[in-house]
Amino acid sequence: MLKALSAGRWDYDTAAHLLNRAGFGGPPSVIQSLADLDPDAALSTLLDYERYADPTPAPVWAKPDPNGVRQMRDTARNATSDERRKLFQQEMRVQYQRLMELRGWWLNRMVKGPQPFQEKMVLFWHGHFATSFDKVRNAYYMWRQNELFRRLATGNWQELLTFAGKDPAMLIWLDQAESRRPHANENFAREVMELFSLGIGNYTEMDVTEGARALTGWSLDRLNQEFIYRPVFHDNGAKKFLGRTGNLDGDDVIAQIVAQPASARFITAKLWNYFAGQAASEELNDALAGVLRENGNNFKPFLRVMFRSEEFYDPAIVRNQVKSPVQWLVGTARMLESDLPPTLVCEGITRRLGQDLFAPPNVKGWDGGISWITTTTLLDRYNTAAILVQGAEVPRARLDAMQAMAPMDGNPPEAQGERVHVGGVNVDKILSPDERADKDRVVAALQHRLLQSALKDDQEKALRDFLNARAKLNDADIRAAIRLVMCTPEYQVT
Amino acid sequence: MKNEITLQTRRHFLRTTVLGSALTWTVPAFLADTFTALHGEAADSATQIVTGKDATILVVLQMAGGNDGINTVVPYTSDDYHNARPKLGLTAQQVLNLNGEIGFHNALTGFKNLYDSGQLAVVQGVGYPNPNRSHFRSTEIWQTASDADKVEKYGWLGRYFDNACAGCDPTVGVDIGGQTPQSFFAQTPTGISLADPQSYRFISPGRFRPGQTDLLEESYEKLNEIPDAASDVNSGGSIGALAAGMPQSGGSSLHFIERTALDAQVSSDRIRAIVARVKNQASYPTTKLGDNLKLVAQLIAGGLPTRVYYVSQGGYDTHINQVGTQDRLLKEMGDAVNAFVGDLKAQGNLQRVLVMTFSEFGRRVAENASGGTDHGAAAPLFVIGDKVKAGLLGRYPSLAPQDLFEGDIKYNVDFRSVYAGVLESWLKTKSAPILGRQFEPLPLV
Repeated sequence: MLKALSAGRWDYDTAAHLLNRAGFGGPPSVIQSLADLDPDAALSTLLDYERYADPTPAPVWAKPDPNGVRQMRDTARNATSDERRKLFQQEMRVQYQRLMELRGWWLNRMVKGPQPFQEKMVLFWHGHFATSFDKVRNAYYMWRQNELFRRLATGNWQELLTFAGKDPAMLIWLDQAESRRPHANENFAREVMELFSLGIGNYTEMDVTEGARALTGWSLDRLNQEFIYRPVFHDNGAKKFLGRTGNLDGDDVIAQIVAQPASARFITAKLWNYFAGQAASEELNDALAGVLRENGNNFKPFLRVMFRSEEFYDPAIVRNQVKSPVQWLVGTARMLESDLPPTLVCEGITRRLGQDLFAPPNVKGWDGGISWITTTTLLDRYNTAAILVQGAEVPRARLDAMQAMAPMDGNPPEAQGERVHVGGVNVDKILSPDERADKDRVVAALQHRLLQSALKDDQEKALRDFLNARAKLNDADIRAAIRLVMCTPEYQVT
Repeated sequence: MKNEITLQTRRHFLRTTVLGSALTWTVPAFLADTFTALHGEAADSATQIVTGKDATILVVLQMAGGNDGINTVVPYTSDDYHNARPKLGLTAQQVLNLNGEIGFHNALTGFKNLYDSGQLAVVQGVGYPNPNRSHFRSTEIWQTASDADKVEKYGWLGRYFDNACAGCDPTVGVDIGGQTPQSFFAQTPTGISLADPQSYRFISPGRFRPGQTDLLEESYEKLNEIPDAASDVNSGGSIGALAAGMPQSGGSSLHFIERTALDAQVSSDRIRAIVARVKNQASYPTTKLGDNLKLVAQLIAGGLPTRVYYVSQGGYDTHINQVGTQDRLLKEMGDAVNAFVGDLKAQGNLQRVLVMTFSEFGRRVAENASGGTDHGAAAPLFVIGDKVKAGLLGRYPSLAPQDLFEGDIKYNVDFRSVYAGVLESWLKTKSAPILGRQFEPLPLV
């Protein structure tokens, strides 16, 4: 189990697989440069991301704003209910606009940033500790949680679980901020065990109610916008939680959870599934959990073993994972060496495809796998491919408003009016003049770049027929051919 | 073998349908918000829809999050109720009285209207043995009709499709809006998912007249045909194994996508033609659920051969500040369903449609300190239709402290008895092969 892949098997295909899974994929030149290294060095360029600075600045509003909160409170206190409603609507408009900026901020880090593996881990933790803006309603809190996942992306399990529990967005999302004796709110206590750390069958209903009692006191300081411990909320009675007795508190709850053998198994199974695209066998997961525990529940060394293992490069694993919408979008931009469309377009794309960032469907996060694919989302992928390849016509008014980032007064600008063309693939980056002159080479080059494998014969013929119906290929023809490759079942897997 | 036959049938259907690849549409731009309406002329030429006129139809409405059944169908005269809910308890003035002891939450005027006209049944105290209080596990139990201690990979509606609809058109099951519900998971994947009918197609950028061939669209169709060789592969089994949240080992994701691509092609033209042609005959509330039921009514009127439609409404997980949230959700639901029933009646289709609601669990009898309620167990569900045995079915479970189990009311009716009733007396099929064993079918119609 988990024997290291022999250096002899390290080649273009295995390098492509690693880059697809531990990152968001890339163009042939990047895959080749990984393949030219030895496997440990190649892995290190992804995993040891601390070596590469990501200069992306935080959004300007990404800081606590006690004065703003206080001002809002005072204004609201003296306002009529009608004024209060207006105030609230205005505030929500600002928050939504920031949320949109945040989505673009993150997607662009994934596409352009030098640390794709770190961002892939952030995406994992976001889906794991699935928290939604729909209830949190504050972009700063969502950004802050995202930064927490980035900071502890490959850190220590207990530390991450503790900070995730004390995170303001989480305190709101699972109602822990409101939980107080003598009737504790069970929401966080239940989900932290069921969905974040242990899984059903590894705790009892009694552990839920007792855990909820112990967690009382973990709360949110809404003025300073940070975690606060409120002694008056805390239930000081004796509790019995997962076999431990005493006047337990929230930190004890987390420590006791992580002490359960089930907790390592739970998270390694989920990580394996996320990166390998398949459930781990019992035997494999035993080995994986063993590695995590041996490394003091630190994720980085665990992940290094996992990505280096023979199991990870098994033929049943390679090119058998359905791309998540974010992987699909970001991967396309990376493979085609193009920019993402403007955020207001990207936001619509990921929502339609079923992965609205910062708004997972529920606390379990996205189910992933084949659940990404329905008749509707598949057709949406096929149509979105046209936007990415050919560019999009965007209303100028909306684009300008977005770029100005000024809080909008009243309704967002009309979708009608003048449109500007944005995005689209630069064909010269994809094909050399020689390749372009030879339709067989075009067909081969597109498959190599976009699939890292081949279409079925009938499909390849359909693609060749499409090109053969044209005399000399212009840019639009090439873009149409790229879109067609993206409109195959094969392109939806990685 | 069964899979192979199904596949051949679909391929045949794809190739021979009068609504095949001949029709193309004009599309001004690619942006989501510019996916425009169908070309009217083209839509009108799309005729000859296969009808399933006489077949009965089931509409499943999921109330996701665990609706508080106790404040939905309210035992407002019970002391035990008010003792457990000093803040959230509803008084006689806050309910729509049904029988002097029980009333609907007063946001449910839509349901009261249906109840009074003999079109709504309340099945009281529905649940299952050893209730699970996890949203996800309990939803799974409801969706797969499994025992609480067993994990089933296929959904109960999927097993109905496998058993009763082999070789059916993929639109036999239609999910509106969201992800494919687990109840649709089947050995032979069946059913489509539909969000926005206008963009439910492959969009080709050129301007082409109806009837003219578009090379891009033709190429897309060829790229998404399942090659003959693949029909020898039994992909159905492996796909089902991928179901239930986390994909299981050993399946081929590609086979699943290939089938989905084919189903999308087969259903696309017909659905858009129906939506362009059929007008609703009732005015719906402008809510997501209202929009979704509106679309279901159109598809029913248009004669799509669908036996099961699935819609979902979320947000019922009211751990805090339950009052405003539940009021809003129940009102949305009652009003949307009421409009839907009116629409079907005007169409003349009401007698062949049955609506059934469910939620993964009810909530604790006692309220918590945050103005909400935590995860509970049994709850009422609603069955709506022209032929339904209207009124209060079963009895209200006791709220007396000594009658509770871990703070929750006990169920009187196993939800699988409700399913058995729906399958046998409505969908006219044997329930035991679908539900795993014989449950006493609840007489619903």
